[in-house]
Amino acid sequence: MAHQQHMKSDISYREVNEDVVRTMTKSGVGYYIALFLSIAGVVFLWWLPWAYQIYTGQGVTGLQTPVFWGIYLTNFIFWIGISHSGTLLSAILFITQTPWRRSIYRSAEAMTFFSVLTAAVFVFVHMGRPWNFYWTMPYPNQRQIWLNFQSPLMFDVFAISTYMTASMIFLYFGSIPDLAAVRDRVTGWRKELYGALSLGWRGTDAEWHWLNKAYTFFAVLIIPLAVSVHSIVSWDFALSKVPGLNKTIFAPYFVVGAIYSGSAGIVTLMVILRKTLRIEKYITTNHFDKLGMLLLVMSLLWSYINVLEVFTGWYADTSFENEALKYRMFTPPYSYMFWLMIFTNTLMPLLLIFRKLRASILISLIVSLGINVGMWIERYLIITTSLPRKFLPYMWHDYSPSLTEISMTIGSFSFFVMLFLLFIKLWPSVSIYEVKEDIGIPMKKEGH
Amino acid sequence: MGKFLDKILERFKIYRIPGYYEKYDHKWTMVIDLDRCNGCEACVVACNAENNVPVVGKEECGNKRTLNWIRIERYVEGEYPNVKVKFIPIMCQHCGKAPCETACPVYATYHNQDGLNVQVYNRCVGTFTCATYCPYDVRRFNWFTYKRDEPLNQQLNPDVTVREMGVMEKCTFCIQRIRAAKDRAKDENRSIRDGEVQPACVQSCPTGAMTFGDMNDPDSKVFKLAKSQRKYKLLEELNADPSVIYLKRVMKDGSSATHEE
Amino acid sequence: MLNRRDFLKLVGVGGAGAAAGFALGEKSKNPSAELIPYLVPPEDIIPGVANWYTSVCAQCSAGCGIIVRVMEGRAKKIEGNPLHPINKGKLCARGQASLQALYNPDRIKNPLKRKGERGKGEFQEITWEQGIAMLSENLSSLRNNKRETEKLYLLTSSIRGHLNSFLENFIKAYGSSNYLQYELFQHENLLLANNIAFGQDTLPYYDIENTKFLLSLGADFLNTWVSPVNYSQGYGHMRQGRPGIRGKVVQIEPRLSLTGANADEWVPIKPGTEGLLALGMAYAILEQGYYKGRDAQEWKNILNKYHPKDVAVLTEVDERRIRALAKEFAVNKPSLAIGGENVASYENGASQLIAVNILNHLAGNIGKNGGVISNPKGASLSNRRGAIKKITAFAKDASNGKIKTLILYNANPVFTTPKTMKIEDAINNIPFIVSLSGSMDESTAMADLILPTHTPLEDWGDDFAEPSVGYSIATVMQPAVSPVFNTRNAGDIFIDVAEKIGGAIKKEVPWNSFDAFLKDSWKKIYDKNKGIVIQETTFDEFWDNLLAKGWWRLPDISSLKPGHISTKGINVYLQKEPSKFDGDDKNYPFYLCLYPHSGYLDGRGANLPWLQEMPDPMTSVVWGVWVEMNPKTAQGMGIKNGDMVSVESPYGNINIPAYLYPGIRPDTVSIPIGQGHRLYGRYAADRGVNPIEILPFKVDPRSGAIPLNSTRVKITARRDAPGNMVKMEGSTREFGRKIVETVTPDEFSKMGMEG
Ligand SMILES: Nc1nc2c(c(=O)[nH]1)N[C@H]1C(S)=C(S)[C@@H](COP(=O)(O)OP(=O)(O)OC[C@H]3O[C@@H](n4cnc5c(=O)[nH]c(N)nc54)[C@H](O)[C@@H]3O)O[C@H]1N2
Ligand code: SF4
Ligand code: SF4
Ligand code: SF4
Ligand code: SF4
Ligand code: SF4
Repeated sequence: MAHQQHMKSDISYREVNEDVVRTMTKSGVGYYIALFLSIAGVVFLWWLPWAYQIYTGQGVTGLQTPVFWGIYLTNFIFWIGISHSGTLLSAILFITQTPWRRSIYRSAEAMTFFSVLTAAVFVFVHMGRPWNFYWTMPYPNQRQIWLNFQSPLMFDVFAISTYMTASMIFLYFGSIPDLAAVRDRVTGWRKELYGALSLGWRGTDAEWHWLNKAYTFFAVLIIPLAVSVHSIVSWDFALSKVPGLNKTIFAPYFVVGAIYSGSAGIVTLMVILRKTLRIEKYITTNHFDKLGMLLLVMSLLWSYINVLEVFTGWYADTSFENEALKYRMFTPPYSYMFWLMIFTNTLMPLLLIFRKLRASILISLIVSLGINVGMWIERYLIITTSLPRKFLPYMWHDYSPSLTEISMTIGSFSFFVMLFLLFIKLWPSVSIYEVKEDIGIPMKKEGH
Repeated sequence: MGKFLDKILERFKIYRIPGYYEKYDHKWTMVIDLDRCNGCEACVVACNAENNVPVVGKEECGNKRTLNWIRIERYVEGEYPNVKVKFIPIMCQHCGKAPCETACPVYATYHNQDGLNVQVYNRCVGTFTCATYCPYDVRRFNWFTYKRDEPLNQQLNPDVTVREMGVMEKCTFCIQRIRAAKDRAKDENRSIRDGEVQPACVQSCPTGAMTFGDMNDPDSKVFKLAKSQRKYKLLEELNADPSVIYLKRVMKDGSSATHEE
Repeated sequence: MLNRRDFLKLVGVGGAGAAAGFALGEKSKNPSAELIPYLVPPEDIIPGVANWYTSVCAQCSAGCGIIVRVMEGRAKKIEGNPLHPINKGKLCARGQASLQALYNPDRIKNPLKRKGERGKGEFQEITWEQGIAMLSENLSSLRNNKRETEKLYLLTSSIRGHLNSFLENFIKAYGSSNYLQYELFQHENLLLANNIAFGQDTLPYYDIENTKFLLSLGADFLNTWVSPVNYSQGYGHMRQGRPGIRGKVVQIEPRLSLTGANADEWVPIKPGTEGLLALGMAYAILEQGYYKGRDAQEWKNILNKYHPKDVAVLTEVDERRIRALAKEFAVNKPSLAIGGENVASYENGASQLIAVNILNHLAGNIGKNGGVISNPKGASLSNRRGAIKKITAFAKDASNGKIKTLILYNANPVFTTPKTMKIEDAINNIPFIVSLSGSMDESTAMADLILPTHTPLEDWGDDFAEPSVGYSIATVMQPAVSPVFNTRNAGDIFIDVAEKIGGAIKKEVPWNSFDAFLKDSWKKIYDKNKGIVIQETTFDEFWDNLLAKGWWRLPDISSLKPGHISTKGINVYLQKEPSKFDGDDKNYPFYLCLYPHSGYLDGRGANLPWLQEMPDPMTSVVWGVWVEMNPKTAQGMGIKNGDMVSVESPYGNINIPAYLYPGIRPDTVSIPIGQGHRLYGRYAADRGVNPIEILPFKVDPRSGAIPLNSTRVKITARRDAPGNMVKMEGSTREFGRKIVETVTPDEFSKMGMEG
């Protein structure tokens, strides 16, 4: 294997160990402030408004007839989208033995898990009677309720729960050697915790062998799973007859969009982690260069599909398609959002054509943040500009989110941040053993 | 095992064949003659009274959250003085291939043997999917728990469930009246007579625009009306196979422009 | 539809059941508060099984027969009585909603005595004994001390049944002649026009069902005019009930009504010239020789001033169109012309309606199936004639202190008269006001004593519908449920008062209860007609059958008249020029056209939440009021849909949101009547404005009608006030989506019988 190094080569194995453990044990005031704020955000912006919504009814939202779907489902798709790339990217890069994967994949996988979790909660937020959520699970019961396997929502339940489980296991398996390494370097309750989590890992050849096998297996499994998850999410929409939603292109469109937004999410995350955890030596401009290329490719694909969507609508030239397109592209305030999205998702990423700009961390951050905003808008537009322009014009009514909905949306970002803040303290967020692989054998031998 | 599979496949196939309900006793159908309907909305209030449809108040009306199961859509074409106004009552079309039914993960809405699209309030978890899938926008959601000022609640029809917060609802073709007629017929050891079932809207309609009956009965009024050359189904191109048949309005130049001027 | 025998079986229990329910209600006045409503259940009440009681709808003056579905003592649903000849089982939205009048939370639940200042709305609950005592003492003192019996006035809504004769009796026995009835829509001009033209003081039956060509001049007969359910049924049949024949409808009115929306042609005529158009058409009919009567030449002489060319200028309807309409009207037999509220509501409304009658006469539609059929007089007990003339006299009397005591029964003149009439101030001069009313409306709030009455679903009574269907009919009203609140029958109140006053009055009102009087009156009818048109051998049998069936055909007491309009003297009644309007066209550039709202009618339906939430058929507006403006006009003034505007007449102004409506002339604006209650319960109060307020105090001297449409207004945008109009429609355009598919009349006629 051509061995290309992606980090500063003078890092020692000890340094790796200590850097990673440091990120977990030493926390500044800034961390605690951030953690406190994020928890406060979750409680006050999400859980309390949600409790209010459950108590009062879905009427506290801005939803109405016929726009029964709004910002909650936007967030659902958005977070599912973010979840792509994390695990998916990690798995693809693992199978293709791409070396620059190593220092970023752990946080990327965590990102996947947390965003699927956030997405899953939105399913319940969106429900009229969330207390009956378990009725969507197939289990023997006496209420004569069984599942409708024709329903794309049912596919969702299976796809998302499988994806969540799989990505969780993937994350966990890959972490076992590191958990053991941490175990060996900490004291007190941490020792107990990581002792249990590392499942008695000793680092024997047999253990490495089996870990590798299992890891490869999951890597292979997770790729079709990830593709299917967002295809299925797209079917929630595409299986309806609604103009603007009923599109055969939706499955690839959603998968591309997901990987696109997911990769952008990774870039944003990398920039933040790199700075806050002071691990610049593990995440280098080289990483941003590579991810930049990925973003560029996804951007072109995504733009192509968008053009296609408008083209098919225009070509079909039915009143249904025309009105939906007109509404999305030329009716304020949606038109502003639409053209902003085109700017952030199609035009701005063109900067990444230039290697210099790709390597610029600032540019990467700006572009990736732009893409994240753009992709959120994309999901929002898909829903809120299609449903208000269904088949019967007498029922054309516009939607705008209520304060409760906006609050819960912000709360969900807090939730994600909170999980991540907890994660970096509780989990080795950079893969110790694989980074070491990347460093190669240093001059001075030291135990790992 | 093979036999078992065949059995399942057979049932599946039956369910998938459009018009499978022809094998059953009834296929309830509504014929609405748009040349009679004058848009008076008597049917709307009749349905509210029969089916315990809550009143939501001005603010919620502004939020477009009325619960009425049937509405009169009005379309206006042309400019003064050549104004054409057209009315059409729209309730659940009880689609033979109902888009809403595929949507529901918990079978809270499904097709029964009589060709009705039924809604089981108890089962519904409120995902809204059926309502977004419904091309006719007839599904209504209980956004809140709706209270009726005492003693208006004394009017509630005991034959119809009062729906709770968080569930979807819609026109049932007045299934309670169908049930009552079926029971009566069974007690008297006969089959249901044509015209015996009259949903509240049909019953009230002053112009006689609406006719309800069993399409499986070749002597029924609906069967005869459905042969009219004026018949059409709403948004037929969507292939949802509605059980509501409209008869075209007779008017000079009733067409509309595809694009707004 | 139910077959007749089934139906009779269903309501057969009605008579006995109603009586049982009623007796029970008397015993336990407030059953809703008890966990078990029936300690000793009446035998015929089976839990879970509905009883049906026949009665009559009181939401408008059409007098449709209803059946009420009652389960365990609670009314659940109202439907049309399938056996009733007026509505044949059908009901309009108002009829459907009247259940909510029964269970309205804002009904007056107990007798009330004024506490604070008059009109401040402060009342204190009293017992019925106290209430009756107060009224009796007042009436006694008026009678005994100063002999001022003529200073007692009784003002009621329009009552047509035996309650009317009962009240007449009482008032006469008391020594007053001041019993009057007032309602906003009483068709006074129509009655006057028919009286002048045919010499018949009744409303005829318009046989819409069988006509081929219907020319409607401002009659919203599918919605609110005279007998909407009956006419709607006729309309349905006329359109699609006769294989191979489809009647044509032409609507002539400045503002497209619901009926206009269903017509084949709309003629947006200049307001106030409708009668001229009719006469112009009559001219054309005579000219073409379609009228074959011997007096053709006389008619020609009379009508020679109405050459279509001149009429075209005044009406702004093309001459060719007038002639074409005239031809269609004369050739397509049977044809029918009707003149509606919109036309009747000009200051020369009666003349315009006479023109419509002439048109019918010249086309040979009088007395023909599919034309105008006169209703013979049955045992009509109505006292309504000229009632409105009296309301002006009443207002004068009140302000001059001629009234000492006023008893109001279900009448709300404060709401339904123009502000300029100052009826509120006038009433305020009356020392003692008693209101017999179920709800706290604007007039009842002025009362010193309020004695709450039953709603029709709790009450005994009867009704003699006008117009009928070519013969006279009586519809009985029986209690479907026991009283929800501590209310009483109006007649019973007078019986109790008579008891207290005693003497001659008691002798004139010898019954124990109003229902005893009612039964007694029907016994008289029974005795008179037994063996002639009544087959039943006993009165009880007759009575039970009557209650089960719900109505009875009265033997005619006048014969059918041929209905020939004589040319003699008709000239003075002819419309000579367009109607006059208050307000000059410089300062007040718009004609104001008021019409009854399809749900609230004259305002009485505004307290029913179902009707408030029923989208208006033409605008889809709910819970409010609006002014309709032509979009072009509005755009020119910078007014957008929903913007607040001020509508100002020479007599006042109101602020109201604008609804841009392409179905209205650019020089006309239109407002529905019915909203704008200050009181009248939580659903009605403070919802928009009452347009009657800005009308002049003007009464047609001949008929007594208040001309609702003879005012001009000016419109100014009110940018300072936010619009508060809620409409349910999204877009009103169809975008070629073929939602309401159509076929042209030609295509339809090619379909033949199969169509
Ligand atoms: N202390 C005490 N105990 C008693 C009695 C007593 O008087 N006092 N009475 C006894 C008698 S007689 C009886 S019958 C039993 C009754 O006892 P249970 O059979 O337990 O009856 P409930 O508790 O009324 O209702 C059972 C559940 O059914 C749910 N449910 C309601 N509608 C539906 C539906 O459509 N589908 C489904 N699947 N579930 C639904 C309700 O939410 C509730 O949770 O109790 C017995 N126990
Ligand atoms: S009641 Fe009949 S005529 Fe009136 S709107 Fe409904 S369907 Fe049309
Ligand atoms: S009309 Fe809508 S709700 Fe009714 S069956 Fe069809 S899809 Fe379902
Ligand atoms: S809202 Fe209720 S009925 Fe509709 S799809 Fe969801 S669970 Fe099924
Ligand atoms: S059929 Fe029954 S439920 Fe459906 S709209 Fe008519 S009255 Fe309402
Ligand atoms: S027309 Fe309507 S409101 Fe009037 S009596 Fe008949 S049902 Fe009642």
